[in-house]
Amino acid sequence: MKKIHKLIHMKRILKVSWAITSLALTLVILSGCEKNFTDPNNASSDVVFNSVRGITGVAIGLQRTYTAGRASNLYNKITTDGFTTKQFFIVNRGNIPEDQLERGGGFVDGTNTILAGLWTSSNKIIYDANNVLEATAKLGDKAYASGLIGYTTIFKALAIADMAMFWEQVPTGIGVNISFKPRVDGFKEAITEIDKALAVIQATPISAAFTANVPAGIEIQNTLRALKARFALFAGDYALANTTANSVNLSTKSVFTFNGVNQNPIFETVTATNNVYQPVDSTLGLPVAIAPDLADQRIPFYLTVNPTIAPRFRTRGFARDGLFEMPLWTPGEMLLIRAESLTRQASPNLTEAQNILNQVITKTSATDLYALGAGLPAIITPLSQADLLAQIYRNRCIELFMFGLKLEDMRRFNRPNSERGRNLMPYPFRERDSNPNTPADPPF
Amino acid sequence: MLMKMSYSMGKKIRAIVFLINLLLSTLCLNAQVTIAGKVTDTKGNPVPSATIAIKNTTFATASDENGMYSIATPLKAGALEVNFSSVGLKSDLRRISAIIGSNTIDVSLADDILGLDQVVVTGTTAGTTRKQLGSFISTVKSDQLNKGAPANALQALQGKTAGAQIIQNSGDPAGGMSVRLRGISTVNASSEPLYIVDGIIVNNATNRVTNTQSGFDGANFVGSVGQSRMVDINPADIDRVEVLNGAAASAIYGSRANSGVIQIFTKRGASGKPTINFSTNYISSSLRKQVDINQAPTKFGGPTDGPGAQTQDILTPSLTNTTAVTRQNYWDYIFRNAAGTDNNISISGGNDNTKYYASASYFFNQGIVQNTDFQRYSFRVNLDQKISKILSMSVGLNYVNSAANEKPDGNSFFSPMNGITILGNFHDIWKRDANGNLLAVGERGRINPVSIIEDFDQQQETNRILTSVGLKLKPFKGFMVDYTMGIDNYSQNGTTFIPPYMYNASPGFWGGGPSLDPTQNGYASAATNSFFQINHEINGTYQFEINENLSSISQVGYQLQYEKNNYLLSQGRGLAPGIQTVNGASTLLPGVDSRSELTIQGAYIQQNFKWKNEFFVTGAIRYDQSSVFGPNQRNQLYYKASASWVASEAKWWQNSSVSKWWDLAKIRFAYGQSGNLTGIGAYDRFNTYTSNAYLGRTALQSLARAANIEVKPERQDELEVGADFAFLKSRLTLTANVYVKKVNDLLINRNVSPTTGFSTLLDNFGALENKGFEIVLGGTPIQSKDFRWDISWLFSQNRNKATKIGQALTLFSTNGGAPVAIIEGRPIGVFFGTFFATDANGVPLKNPAGIPLIERGTQNGPLSNTPGRGVDGLPSGTTLRRIIGDPNPDFTTTLINTFGYKRLNFRIQFDAVKGVDVFNADWRTRQGVGNGEIAEKEHKGELPRGYISGVYPIEEWRIDDGSFIKLRELSLSYNLGNLGKVVRDMNIVVAGRNLVSFDNYKGFDPEVNAGGQSTLLRGIDFGPVPIPRTLTFGINCKF
Repeated sequence: MKKIHKLIHMKRILKVSWAITSLALTLVILSGCEKNFTDPNNASSDVVFNSVRGITGVAIGLQRTYTAGRASNLYNKITTDGFTTKQFFIVNRGNIPEDQLERGGGFVDGTNTILAGLWTSSNKIIYDANNVLEATAKLGDKAYASGLIGYTTIFKALAIADMAMFWEQVPTGIGVNISFKPRVDGFKEAITEIDKALAVIQATPISAAFTANVPAGIEIQNTLRALKARFALFAGDYALANTTANSVNLSTKSVFTFNGVNQNPIFETVTATNNVYQPVDSTLGLPVAIAPDLADQRIPFYLTVNPTIAPRFRTRGFARDGLFEMPLWTPGEMLLIRAESLTRQASPNLTEAQNILNQVITKTSATDLYALGAGLPAIITPLSQADLLAQIYRNRCIELFMFGLKLEDMRRFNRPNSERGRNLMPYPFRERDSNPNTPADPPF
Repeated sequence: MLMKMSYSMGKKIRAIVFLINLLLSTLCLNAQVTIAGKVTDTKGNPVPSATIAIKNTTFATASDENGMYSIATPLKAGALEVNFSSVGLKSDLRRISAIIGSNTIDVSLADDILGLDQVVVTGTTAGTTRKQLGSFISTVKSDQLNKGAPANALQALQGKTAGAQIIQNSGDPAGGMSVRLRGISTVNASSEPLYIVDGIIVNNATNRVTNTQSGFDGANFVGSVGQSRMVDINPADIDRVEVLNGAAASAIYGSRANSGVIQIFTKRGASGKPTINFSTNYISSSLRKQVDINQAPTKFGGPTDGPGAQTQDILTPSLTNTTAVTRQNYWDYIFRNAAGTDNNISISGGNDNTKYYASASYFFNQGIVQNTDFQRYSFRVNLDQKISKILSMSVGLNYVNSAANEKPDGNSFFSPMNGITILGNFHDIWKRDANGNLLAVGERGRINPVSIIEDFDQQQETNRILTSVGLKLKPFKGFMVDYTMGIDNYSQNGTTFIPPYMYNASPGFWGGGPSLDPTQNGYASAATNSFFQINHEINGTYQFEINENLSSISQVGYQLQYEKNNYLLSQGRGLAPGIQTVNGASTLLPGVDSRSELTIQGAYIQQNFKWKNEFFVTGAIRYDQSSVFGPNQRNQLYYKASASWVASEAKWWQNSSVSKWWDLAKIRFAYGQSGNLTGIGAYDRFNTYTSNAYLGRTALQSLARAANIEVKPERQDELEVGADFAFLKSRLTLTANVYVKKVNDLLINRNVSPTTGFSTLLDNFGALENKGFEIVLGGTPIQSKDFRWDISWLFSQNRNKATKIGQALTLFSTNGGAPVAIIEGRPIGVFFGTFFATDANGVPLKNPAGIPLIERGTQNGPLSNTPGRGVDGLPSGTTLRRIIGDPNPDFTTTLINTFGYKRLNFRIQFDAVKGVDVFNADWRTRQGVGNGEIAEKEHKGELPRGYISGVYPIEEWRIDDGSFIKLRELSLSYNLGNLGKVVRDMNIVVAGRNLVSFDNYKGFDPEVNAGGQSTLLRGIDFGPVPIPRTLTFGINCKF
């Protein structure tokens, strides 16, 4: 009897269960809710790289990454360089990464967020630049493509060189567990990239349509040449450096521009706050022997004096206000590259080198493209090679103050280690933690 | 024939008997069995709202205000089982031989201290009694919730549920709350539990409609700061809260239950004449503790303001000359004794067919920081209507308007707390020039705290509707279908206004710099977050008895959730005079327009068997689907199983002598799985390009984060074993749980080598584990006619560990400078940083000047280093790092004592948290700028000059002991009883909250967190407002 009843019940369970299950299933099917939403906030890479506007947007993004705000390469490289070469002092030790850089040596380690930022943004720029360069191949409008390639290459070359200036080895490309190569090969790679871009521009000049579509300020062709000259000098190819610098049209301006929203990053963080760092003093950190001449008009260009409120010497230069344009290169730099190359080349031409150096020393704010002039008398006495190099170094330090190039110069001019906090930087932990090919940190 | 058969089977098949009875009785309407009587508690007080149900029928009712009830049924005379139950009391099953006509049953229900007979609504439908549960679910009732003057529902839960760490992250009057059930269950997303109010999935997001400035960007940089939206729920409306700590209990909620579930049930009407409840409270809040302030008569260097000013003297050791100064206490200026009121009125009542509860509430509370406050209007109607014998409906509607006057939150130096923290205490901040304008404080462009308090205007307001509709269909005996729809819809608006400063204020603080640049000076923003969520839930339950001893409950259910969120921000700087809106901005800053949509659906089947009242077994399978994940990963299956054995129900137990003093012995076991289908944002799996306006063009940039498009939901497995015991007529009770909770496929947005082109990669990299135990001990040492003393003790210990993260270390940089890390084998969110060098005996090494040094040497790995020593015996090499602190507690515990003497009731609750390390960024800053106690020692020459500058970069210097014992709640109430015909009951209550803290903490409050509701950033003191000491005085009346 019991068994029969159990059976009846079991059947009922089944029946009811079926009823409920089918009800539930019906609902599931009926609801047919949307499961594939597309992101309205961001664009997929397929869409981006399938249109000229999208590709141009990514190219402009490179400039933004390179120049916008405290996270930019511009801020990071100028800050790293300025502290390491003892041109700056820290105003507030609460700025930990800046403080580490000022202390130098073992205090600078893989956690430093300025170095990690420089490393990360540089690789990001290379990654996105590669995507742009790859996509330009598909473009029918070759004159537009020519502009895209030139403009993009500027940032890619700068990004590679920024790493090569501060690290002993640089990545061989973008990818997982990427290998590394000596930093001099980084400069060579940048030159190769620039040569490719210059060849494209040579074949098809950049269209006005392209120039109108990117932020104003950057003159592409001469900037590529100027950067090539800079990197050739850093790579030790003096003949190439000399000829390339000579090929640059020194009357063309090429600058990063800013606006109220995206202010000059050095002004925004340093000049305006007086809470991060300031120049050490009017020597710009140079030793007494080669300290700036008291009459050197470049000092009042780069520094301003606050007679009442500490510190006395404040940044000015190309960071004097929020909208002030920052040059990618200056005529003075090209002249100094030539002077140095002529002095260093296998068969030095000291006379010509001194002549060119004198052009830098004697130019005035009235004659310089950026109103940057020493206004000093020319050096008449012929200088020895060593003296000439000393004067070239001295003038590079003054002429290119806060360009982020001094650490590279210090090594090239064999300045004593005591004049700098570090020779080369430790690799960011972010890289080391996930890439077994990260080289060992240099001891200094 | 049928009748005969059913009778012949007698009791064994009672189920069918009653079904047939039911059918027959509808035909013979004349025959009426009426059962009536009174329900009281052991003291003889009437028990309102007790449920009286005739078993195996659909007939049930509830007692009225006087405990009286009556059920008229068309049942036939004969054996009936009538069950009496009420929240907090032990239920009583009476077997009667009913006669046609009136049957009287009066019952007296005993206290149910362990709550074993409470009906727990685990997931769905009819619910089940705690006795049957295989997992631990805690229930907190309204009388326990609202004794300690809580300002919101989550504060009310503090210390009242085992396994939960409930933290008030800010002392702002609407300060956000964090709830961690059995530790952190995810890393990438919120680790807050799922909140369900009357079946509505309630959003508890923290939306940044104020504090919109760009400096606040990035979730892992500043955390998730501000109000959390549970602040909208009026605690006075809550009837009870059920807390499901982990997957073992919450598996039935599947996809969103990874961090546990908190179910809130609001009050509902009871049949009887209308009852009006009115309560009014006056709230007084004040600062609980001051910090030490530098009282040195001099500072180093030159003057404090004007020409030659040198503000940050301490950190420039080269300054050794001194200047006399007058030291100030700015804290006294920003803090105040704040006042507030909390007023509630509700009316409830009904009859057998219709029951209603309606309430209105107005809460207003000032913050202890000047010019901050929070107010909330709340209206609620809960309606239950019986439509027919088999169909009933319930409707709930809650409208909330909440509004706050705020000041910028801590993570900036223009907030009230950090504005002072960053300032040497020697400026006359109140001084004005001839035009009445405030003056600069020092030479660094810092913000005068008077500007923050007097001029900044930051407000937000939320309008919210929570609505639910429920239908219950009981077509035949044992079968029930219920449907619930819930909607949560709100719009949260915020405005921020920083008027142009009339002095040198740093552009980083939205000033115009030394030149008062009009294109930069001042900031205005308006932001709106609109949220809409709808959830549907349908369940079917079939319950029947297989035989006398064995019964079965089968359930199936389906759920569908849809969520839409739109956030809009407009902002600008460089404001025109007299305009507070963004229209006045000369520099429009990039706006934000962010939209998301997602759906989740799931279905489950659950089967439960019960043998006698002794053994219970449950198994379930759940299937879930989420639009957040890709098509190959969005479908997930979850399992659960549980069993429990109530030994004390066995015959042999009841016949043994043990049963005389040992009332209950229950052992339970539960296993469950759950997922995290909202573990990533709606579109996080896509690799996209983001756009920004740049120099008049559009810049597109690939995201810093790469994602594996095939990323899948995290999956949790939890195993819980527990026991419940009661002794001496339930005067001593013990509940204990042990659990292991493992999360696999842990989603981490982990650092990757930047040479991949990305900074981080979101993928299922890891696994984490929480292991722990919970003890709930209850006792009644004294119980006499007039006096009663109850003790309740909760103890929870959880050990959290990242078992796998796929790399040795992921280190996050944060706004407060806290070096937060995830390290394999260590708790999530430890502080990994630089530390003091010591000799072999642990004595700090000092340089010749007597200043401690940072440890240096060789870092062999995250957890291994070799200190290096130079020829001088001092540290050399690179800076070393190790784990310097852990913000996860060793344990949390609560002790509650309640004393009742006649009409007087006294309750005292202590909460303790042990073993928490806090990264006290503020304390260190106060020394660096010279307003703290260590700075005073350096100023007075008690410490060598340069001491603070030397130890400043050592992160270990900022680690502080965050352990505390707090007098969390105190209440004293007196019941005046019935005061004539109108006032039926009246209570006078004096209560306090966070009155005293016993701790060694160097800051204001070890409990607050600058990372807000962030999962990862815990225990960071970087400008949060301390939690006030609150006192309330209130009157509750019943009419």
